[in-house]
Amino acid sequence: MSEFASGYLVAFFFWFSISFGCLGILMIQHLTGGHWGFGIRRPLEAAAKTLPLMLVLFIPIILLSHDIYPWSHEAEAAQLGNKAKYYLNIPFFVGRAVAYFIIWSGLAFILSKFSLEQDKTNSVDSAIDVAQKCRNVSGPGLLISALTITFASVDWLMSLDPHWFSTIYGILTIGGCLLNSFAFMIIVLSQVGNREAMKGYIGSKHFHDLGKLLLACVMLWGYFNLSQLLIIWSGNLPEETIWFIRRRGGGWEYVGPALILLHFAVPFFLLLNRSLKKKPHIIAMVAGFLMVMRLVDLFWLVQPEFHGGVISPTAVVVTIVSAGIIGAIWLGLFFKLLSSNPLLPLHDPYIQKEAIVHGGH
Amino acid sequence: MEANSATAHQHQEPVLKDVIPVVNPGHNFETVSDKISSIVLRERTPITLIMALGIAFLVMNLLMAALTKLLYQGVGVWGLNTPVGWGLDITTFVWWIGIGHAGTLISAILLLMGQKWRTSINRFAEAMTLFAVACAAIFPLFHTGRPWFAAYWLLPIPNTMALWPQFRSPLMWDVFAISTYGSVSLLFWYVGLIPDLGTMRDRAKNQIVKMIYGMLSMGWRGEARHWARYETIYNLLAGLATPLVVSVHTIVSFDFAVSVIPGWHTTIFPPYFVAGAIFSGFAMVLTLLLPARYLFNLHDFVTMRHIENMAKVMLVTGLMVFYGYNMEAFFGWYCGNEYEFYMIYNRMTGPYWWVYWLLIFCNGVAPQVLWIKKVRQNVYILWGITIIVNIGMWFERFIIVVTSLHRDFMPSVWGMYAPTIWEWMLYAGTIGMFIFLMILFVRALPMIPMFEIKTLLPQSKVRHKE
Repeated sequence: MSEFASGYLVAFFFWFSISFGCLGILMIQHLTGGHWGFGIRRPLEAAAKTLPLMLVLFIPIILLSHDIYPWSHEAEAAQLGNKAKYYLNIPFFVGRAVAYFIIWSGLAFILSKFSLEQDKTNSVDSAIDVAQKCRNVSGPGLLISALTITFASVDWLMSLDPHWFSTIYGILTIGGCLLNSFAFMIIVLSQVGNREAMKGYIGSKHFHDLGKLLLACVMLWGYFNLSQLLIIWSGNLPEETIWFIRRRGGGWEYVGPALILLHFAVPFFLLLNRSLKKKPHIIAMVAGFLMVMRLVDLFWLVQPEFHGGVISPTAVVVTIVSAGIIGAIWLGLFFKLLSSNPLLPLHDPYIQKEAIVHGGH
Repeated sequence: MEANSATAHQHQEPVLKDVIPVVNPGHNFETVSDKISSIVLRERTPITLIMALGIAFLVMNLLMAALTKLLYQGVGVWGLNTPVGWGLDITTFVWWIGIGHAGTLISAILLLMGQKWRTSINRFAEAMTLFAVACAAIFPLFHTGRPWFAAYWLLPIPNTMALWPQFRSPLMWDVFAISTYGSVSLLFWYVGLIPDLGTMRDRAKNQIVKMIYGMLSMGWRGEARHWARYETIYNLLAGLATPLVVSVHTIVSFDFAVSVIPGWHTTIFPPYFVAGAIFSGFAMVLTLLLPARYLFNLHDFVTMRHIENMAKVMLVTGLMVFYGYNMEAFFGWYCGNEYEFYMIYNRMTGPYWWVYWLLIFCNGVAPQVLWIKKVRQNVYILWGITIIVNIGMWFERFIIVVTSLHRDFMPSVWGMYAPTIWEWMLYAGTIGMFIFLMILFVRALPMIPMFEIKTLLPQSKVRHKE
């Protein structure tokens, strides 16, 4: 049963990280502006609006929590003492998860509503007022999201080993969500960029910008992971090194170096290339490859805590199958949401400004 | 040339009611050069500036006195003792290094990201970076009390004693990180100055002044070839400087984090230190820039747009730092390790509790007023906030350095640390030196890049007719 439960957790978190990451990027885009956001606002909104679906898909994790989380067993909880009493217990765990999803979904729907409201405005000034409303939501929204995802990452992933902790974990998770979401957005844009509605608006410039952001995310991923590894390795404290020791045997010793090579080094050098970033179909291939590596990375974060520390072929199959099934449902909803609204925001004054500046390139 | 064509395009954009210009209207090439170069070449030095220079010089002499005493008598003149072996020296070192981060961030990263608003403030911020790094470098050099050994203590220089530094130690990496950062920042700043030094040479009336600017401008004639090479080298240096912004403070954070001291050994340190560095750097830029803007009447070039943007960067990085404090507190409880928990408990309620809560107020609570647009646009309140942040960031390093050390694992080696007058003098002296150098800079060099401002003017549009 633990093969199924742990595989499902990996697949769930993979798709969740796109929903959440897109919400984050959407809010960052509202606050910073910039032409990189041109063309992906509606896809971001559609992806963020899948968050309620992720709450539904979270139910199996609650039902299977005894197979996933050691702290849900009384013996382990007794050993953990106050931590289990006040934090790692099923009622609070479920309550927190529901609260996170309500907050995130609320933000996604409010921002999407404002964005559609802006489509109906008929003057630059009133469009700016709506943009201001989006910014007013995005500022505090980003803050709350950063905090909630940190605790969500502790709840859902870090507490797989309730004794282990690393203070950078929340930031690592945020970095992973952003990386996965940028990669997904590049693929979506390469697919819908040729549509009639997008023609003449989406150019290599946009792929170049998104490619640069993808590169930045790859570098951040490397930076955060290196920081964690170097500090834990140097400190050499048993309660911390256990996490890496578990990933040094049972087949995991090949996964770690493979991640350094394929999740960092190869994409890093590929993405340095300017002409590669400007070709939609090639950058989309790199992005697709990075999404696969995201799944491998999540597998590496979750699975060594199960099956006696050995890679379980069953869990591999379960992960791939459930990622496929969740993906089918997720993508179905995503494209339905995407097609129900205009593909480009109609009256965003900042985007119109960018369209004049960069359109036709 | 991408940056230039982007700036040229801006004049075709629709006018948006909420966008404040980066250069106030009514300027042309002539007035920009006049206004900025005349601060150095024509105008009389404001009396306030001369007085400030005098005070800064006096304060700088505290540094000389403190260093003399230190070298004459040894580090015993400081309040350091077991278990607190690092005190004001390292606290202040990290504080200065942090302040030295805004310059390169503004210059390099904002340049690569195509942010036009960096243009009027970059040189000022870079100069500040250089002087801050110079102040910072004093501390690692002198904190051993024997700087004459520094050559082979810090650098891997072959010597007859076959002594080598520990290559695995971040203290060793720090030497390279900071010296690289210092040299690249200096080069970047100087290269960016060259076209303006040419302008200064052409405008100077005094022959000696003309000669000095002439030599410094390295024969700049504004040829197309010069400009092409300039653009290439400037963008290359920006690319080189970008990773340095992150690496320097990351390695400074490793100085602490690779140990096993509760309060130092925590994986969030690298990104949290980098955010803190940018936070304090922007605060210091505003602390100095706001009075300079007033004193030299630079309102046309340093507009509310710059000030608001810097305030926003401060708000964001301040929130990141505050996130770090909260993570330390949460994981102090969550980890279940009694030493870790005691560390955070001791910070909040121990003998240095007031420093901790002052730090929370200065860096966590006070900057939250920057959410309000009216506050971001009120230079007086904003200036007050920057002072609070500067103080708060110093307290942060004090908390990290001192409170983590003063409660060792066993109560038998617990102790307290109180800085002596010589440490305070050293700290104050570096502030004096910093301000002294900044005043010399604004008097001797154009503090705002004239040629870059010109690319923002409507007049420059002609050059890029497409």
